[in-house]
Amino acid sequence: MHAYPGLAALGLIAALALGRPELAALAAPFAVLAAAALALAREPRLRVSLDADAERRVEGGEVELSLELRSEESVERLTALVSMPDGLEADENPVVTHLRGGDVFEHELRVRCARWGGYQLGEVIVRADDLLGFLSYEESFDRRRPLKVYPAAEPLASVLRPLETQVFTGNQVARVRAEGIEFADLRPYVAGDRVRKINWRVSARHGGALWVNQAHPERNSDVVLFLDTFVEARRGAVGTLDLAVRAAASLTAHYLREKDRVGLVSFGGVLNWLTVATGPVQVYRIVDSLLDSEIALSYVWKDIDVLPPRTLPPRALVIALSPLLDERATGALADLRARGFDLSVIEVSPLPFMDVGLEPLEQLAFRLFQLRRDALRSRYRSMGVPVVEWREGVPLRAAIEEVNAFRRHARVVRG
Amino acid sequence: MPAVQGPLRVLLYVLGGAGLASLAAGLTGAWSSPVGAGLALLGAEYAVFFAAGPSGVDLWTPLYAAGFLLTAELAYWSLEPRVPAWAEAAVLVRRLAVLLACCAGAAAVAAAMIVAAGASVGGGLGLELVGIVAAVGALMLVAAVARIGGLLR
Repeated sequence: MHAYPGLAALGLIAALALGRPELAALAAPFAVLAAAALALAREPRLRVSLDADAERRVEGGEVELSLELRSEESVERLTALVSMPDGLEADENPVVTHLRGGDVFEHELRVRCARWGGYQLGEVIVRADDLLGFLSYEESFDRRRPLKVYPAAEPLASVLRPLETQVFTGNQVARVRAEGIEFADLRPYVAGDRVRKINWRVSARHGGALWVNQAHPERNSDVVLFLDTFVEARRGAVGTLDLAVRAAASLTAHYLREKDRVGLVSFGGVLNWLTVATGPVQVYRIVDSLLDSEIALSYVWKDIDVLPPRTLPPRALVIALSPLLDERATGALADLRARGFDLSVIEVSPLPFMDVGLEPLEQLAFRLFQLRRDALRSRYRSMGVPVVEWREGVPLRAAIEEVNAFRRHARVVRG
Repeated sequence: MPAVQGPLRVLLYVLGGAGLASLAAGLTGAWSSPVGAGLALLGAEYAVFFAAGPSGVDLWTPLYAAGFLLTAELAYWSLEPRVPAWAEAAVLVRRLAVLLACCAGAAAVAAAMIVAAGASVGGGLGLELVGIVAAVGALMLVAAVARIGGLLR
């Protein structure tokens, strides 16, 4: 409406030049409107408060925001927008209302947590329009508060079991024979064996020679989740990193529930790690660390030598979640296997996020790309490393079962 | 329109067409400058009509003034940021009421000016001076608006 005074001036000058009062009558309302708007202009002196009912939510959950607006002056049209970062969605935003001087406007805003991540939520942009729609007053209020959205964990019935267990008590039946509940084998009695371990029925069948039961002990295991964050394939709001983070969260929750020790290595442009530990606190440590996962572009060549030794404890099961797109990550995984680590690779397939052209050359390039990936998988399998392709929409437990099936029949190759 | 003949009639069509085209371009492209230019061209068409038309005072002017303001208000309303805002119905009703009141006020102001123009106020110099003061006042208004441009949308 910047044009109103100009239109009024042009009309009045034309009225003078042509000597026609009709032109002045046509122009006068614009001048009157502009003058009235300027005369009535008041700064609204706004006060804004914003409260959230939670600081943490799981992906797919909702956070309720309470927005409160107060103005000392009457505002004809008040528009309030709570700035939403990518990954959060809200209905009824922005909101428009009329506010009398001294009144309070309260509005409840439901925010859907569409994607995991760490957010700062609460920048409120307020715009007050005057009665005649001529002037507007805009101000931004920083009412930001942290909101952590944890990745939704998929419930898993069973997970990968390491080839070797640790020395602490856990829920896993170890392959070794020692004190335990699970029956393993029989052996002849030797001096020092406990009497209660004698299998009397078998001993009677063997003509009086004593035989004792052997058992598998229940032990825990060390699991290291190896997250490849060098590159990702992405389409819109979903990418391979999102899937990998969700899988890591699911695996973490399951292993820690089973009293295992879990660690995390985020291997990419930015190196991030958590040494193995157990307990409920470790869940939050790992999930908080996962929230910081992002693809940081880097050309620096990295191998596993950059990792502190304690991040990869001996006899640990290493589960790699990788799209197998970056040579540094694939090389590091091969290096881990060569150093004797019990490694399994869940390949987060980048193929659903790729657009394959229709031109023959593009088709050829895509076939070559697939052949190279097949060759890489064969290389891993020849080293005794199971590689399972997993994509969005397929339950993680299906990939886990596939890895288990491979490990049931594969021989361990020592590098 | 029948009162205007010859080249001026063509000029009227050109100004009117250009004004509507500029208005349409501004509305479809969400630009405010073509809207202002379109309104100015429509005003210019009105001025040419009177320059070449009948000498008597046009009694329909208040209606034109109200319609002209309504066109401008609706045009600028449609240019406002198009966000899917959840608005209370009362806000919309209030805005429509204010718009209608502004149009009624515009018609009243225009009618008052037409009546004042028809009244006998003596010499022409005084009237010219009042007109000049009004024009200067309008220019000062432009300057005032430019000065507080930070508050304007």
